[in-house]
Parts: sequence; structure tokens; C-alpha cells
Amino acid sequence: MASRTLRPLLNRSRFQCLHTQTPRYLSKSTKHHSAEAPNQSTPHERTTHFGFETVAEAEKEARVAGVFSNVAESYDAMNDFMSLGIHRLWKYIFPFSPPFLTERPKECEGRSRTKANPQTRDHFVHSINPGTSLPTTSPSTEPQGWKMLDIAGGTGDIAFRLLDHATHINASPSSTITISDINPSMLSEGRKRSLSTSYAHSPRLSFLLANAENLHTVPSSSIDLYTVAFGIRNFTDKPKALREAYRVLKPGGVFACLEFSGVTNPLLDAMYKRWSFGAIPLIGQLVAGDRASYQYLVESIERFPKQEEFRDMIKEAGFHVPGKGWEDLTGGIAAIHKGIKPVEKA
Amino acid sequence: MATKRLLPLSLRLPKPSSLISRKYHTPSQPSPSPFPALETAILTSSLPHIPEHGFTPTTLRLGAHAQGYIPASQNLFPQGAFALVHFHLWRQREALKSCVVVKDAGKGVGVGRKVKELTWERLLGNREVIHRWQEALALTPLPSNLPTALQELHALSDEIWYLAGDTSVDTSWYTKRATLSTIYAATELFMTTDKSSDFKDTSQFLDRRFEDSRVLGEMVGSVGEWVGYNARAGLNVLRSRGVRI
Repeated sequence: MASRTLRPLLNRSRFQCLHTQTPRYLSKSTKHHSAEAPNQSTPHERTTHFGFETVAEAEKEARVAGVFSNVAESYDAMNDFMSLGIHRLWKYIFPFSPPFLTERPKECEGRSRTKANPQTRDHFVHSINPGTSLPTTSPSTEPQGWKMLDIAGGTGDIAFRLLDHATHINASPSSTITISDINPSMLSEGRKRSLSTSYAHSPRLSFLLANAENLHTVPSSSIDLYTVAFGIRNFTDKPKALREAYRVLKPGGVFACLEFSGVTNPLLDAMYKRWSFGAIPLIGQLVAGDRASYQYLVESIERFPKQEEFRDMIKEAGFHVPGKGWEDLTGGIAAIHKGIKPVEKA
Repeated sequence: MATKRLLPLSLRLPKPSSLISRKYHTPSQPSPSPFPALETAILTSSLPHIPEHGFTPTTLRLGAHAQGYIPASQNLFPQGAFALVHFHLWRQREALKSCVVVKDAGKGVGVGRKVKELTWERLLGNREVIHRWQEALALTPLPSNLPTALQELHALSDEIWYLAGDTSVDTSWYTKRATLSTIYAATELFMTTDKSSDFKDTSQFLDRRFEDSRVLGEMVGSVGEWVGYNARAGLNVLRSRGVRI
């Protein structure tokens, strides 16, 4: 019974995949043009993809907004389905490391380790290790905290963890974060959730309604850490967003991105595809009564550039990429990409 | 594949920075560094901070600071403080090439003597950081670090035998490197607790290990000879009895 309902879905997705091969190249070539001469084509001529569909760039933003307005409240449940629940492991598992790797500054040695919020055991956040500072030479000089910007961070999930980590692990109460999202309903969900944290109404937390491709309210070279978790695949013009990230980051600042990616093991990949294309839209229909939004989310994951390709996009924006450029999580279902803005030598 | 072969040689060859390790050695081309330029600069300026701050992310941040980078730039090193350990190992190994024994003084010196000298030279490379070296040793057995650490150890013993002028191509190639790796690792561990002046105790410890390996080598050789002799004798006895072997 179940297989009979799933099969047409699978077939359809495969068909769509073939069908959109040509537009895929089209959108790629327009991307190149825009890099060379951004003003030559008018917005309504340029196309991008919305899941497996090809749509005008101007239209994508509105449609993505529609999707996220629809799923804002059930967003975490959806992440559960999408990552087979493993996103909780990515968030909670503390990578094995000796105690002095997670060194604590002298001033917080009196505090017990158990006081740290268990939520700070987040692999993404831990690998970034926000809030660290240079050892202070005199006790009077307070080390400067990090200025962080969490893009597409509507629900505040990552942002609160970043603050927690900075505060409890690295004793940096001066670190601040701005949660930015293009979607007002996602942002108000974040505001709602922030009330149950210790950061509610504190100057350490602020909200910004903005398009990641144009952060004109954020000054250039002002941010230590730019994070975007499970958001960048929804951007209309990814290279432009990356260039904007490059602009707002301080020299030496970090761009960190957590995103669904290409599963490296072909067998696991086949199973994961079957699950995501077959089951998730169905679950979306049953749980949230909204099939189209969930279909889009699945397709957008499939369409997002794979690890090497995205790494090269980050490089193209001017970043220096550490190591091979990314870290696969659970066989590549998701990946952490990082880039560091190089310091210009005079 | 076919199109790749049509490219000019310069495009076909991987860029030096993308070469993590090369499978062969050639004296005409220096081995590529496993660290890109930016990382090398930061790690180099981190080294002076190791005696005070040890093999820790703090040292990395101080090194980054010296290069004009902010604390967030520690994300350049996904393996964290182990990058410092790796860099130290690599740098000290490279430094052996300019060692006196190799260059001119080593004309009439035998291979065994050179190996001893080079091993001692390499151990003295840890002199400045020896009080912090146990931190580095604590980092190496982590599953993510162990392969690199073992590769470095092998590369070191390989380098020492190569520089000493060893050209063996038989199975002793393997046993020589395995023995030297063991001796080196043991002596290095001993050195971390050595409080004697000029590491005299370590030097004696090293001599004893080389002596052990010589005795052990002789023993293995003698046993092998005995087994071989008896096997051949037994075979001949059987043959003399008319067994067709």
C-alpha cells in the first residue's frame, strides 16, 4: 500500500530532475554573467531555481517567503524528518576532546564545569568556539567579545547556542549576536523563543529584518563571525550573499555555514533520496497539511551545490578556506563549510 | 581522463599547496609543505609562544594576533592545537637536512653512527618545548590525529635513514624504519621526564636502546641462521631417504 503511494512520487521527482537539466545550465550561465557585468541584465530576465522549478529571480524571494511563513512553527519538527533526527546529534554530541582543548580562561576556573548549559554541546557551535579571546595581560582590560551575525537564524536556535557557548565556555559576557532573517514570521518566532532565555531584552541580542544579499544596515568589516545554518540554499543569489558576508566580516573574521549537502556513500545516498523524496512531502501533508512547502524543501536540498562546488563558491567570494574546506556530518547529509576573510597586507 | 592528458604539463600537475603528501622522493624537488602560506605564517609566529602557553588554542590565537588576525581566525585550524604539534614535527624534520653530520663532517662516518647522531639531533629539536611536550603527546592518540602523527613518525625515521645514506631495498628497509621509530618514540617519552643537565640521561637511554636493537638484531639473525641451517639439513635428510622434494 505504502509502496504504491510512494512510487508515483519517486517517478515524478526523477522525471522533474531530468526535465530541469537544461534550465540548470541556464541559471548557471546567468550567474557567470552577473559576476562579470552585474548591471547588464534586468531582474525579470534572470532566472533561478525554486526546488526543481525554474522561476524568475524576483519571484523566488516571494515564494521562499511563502514556504517559511507556512512552516515557521513546525520548523524544528521538519528538521527532524529531513535529517532523520540526526540534526539533534549534530547539535548535542560533544566531539571527543581532552579537557585542555576546551580550555577555560583563568577567571572562570572557580565555576564548575557542570554549570555550563548542556545546550552548548553543539558540534557546529563547538567547532566554531565563539567568544575566545587573547590572554589578558592586565586584569583591568576586559577582553573584547565577538560580534556575531546569525543569518537566516529566524528561530534563534543557533544564535542562543552561540551566546551560551561564548558565555559559559569562554567566559565572554561581552559577546553579542544579531539574528537576521528575511522572513518576519520566522523572526517573530525567534523573538517569542528568546523570552525563555536569559538573553531576552538584553543588549547582547538583537533582531534584524534583512535580505542576506543586501545587509546595508551592517557596516563593513564589523563582524567577527557570520553564521548561516540551514538557510543559504534558499537564497536567490548565493554568490552575492557570499560577497556581502565578505564585506561585513572583519579581516580574519569567519564565515561558517551548516547546510544539507551531498551524501558521499552511494548506498546511503540512494536510501536518503528515497526517504526525502518519498516520505517527507507525505509527512508534510499529514502533519502540517502542506505538501508543496515540504516538496520545495526537499528539492532545494537536492539542488544545493555539493561540497566541492560550494567550497569553490566561498573561495570565489575572496575567502581563505581552511583545510579541505568542509566537514561532512553523518556521511554528508549535512556539511559545515568555513571561510576566513584574509587580512590584506599593506 | 583523455582530455586531462591533452592539457599542458603545468596544468596537469597538482599545485604544491594541494599536495598533502607525495608518494615518492626526489632530491631535485623539495617536498611540498603540508601547510598553506597563511597557515604557515600564523603557525611560525605561534611557535615562540609555545614555551609559555603550550600546545593550546591560546598559542594559536597569539600567533594569529601577531599576523593581524582576530581570535575568531582560530577556525583556520580545524584540527585545533594539533596543528601546532604537526607543524613542530614537520619543521624539526625539515631542519635535519641542514644538520652538520649530513653536510660535510659526515664523510668518513658510517651509516649507523650517522643514524645515531641524527636521532640525537632531532631529539634536541624538542629542547625548547620539552616541558610542554606531554601536552602534544596527549593530543596525538586522538582518533582524528593519530594517522597524521604516525605518518610523521614514519617520515622522520625514513628521513633519518635516507640522510644517513642507507640505500637498502630488501626487507630490512621495513625493519630499520620500524626499529628506529620505536627507539625514537621511547626516547622522546623518556626525555619529557629528564631533569639531568644537557639531557645526559636521555643520551644514555638512547645509547642503550640502540645497543638493545643491535643485540636483538644479532639474536634474530642468529636464530634465523640456525632455523635455516636445520631446515636445510632436515630437507637433505629426507632427500637422502628417497623423498622427492
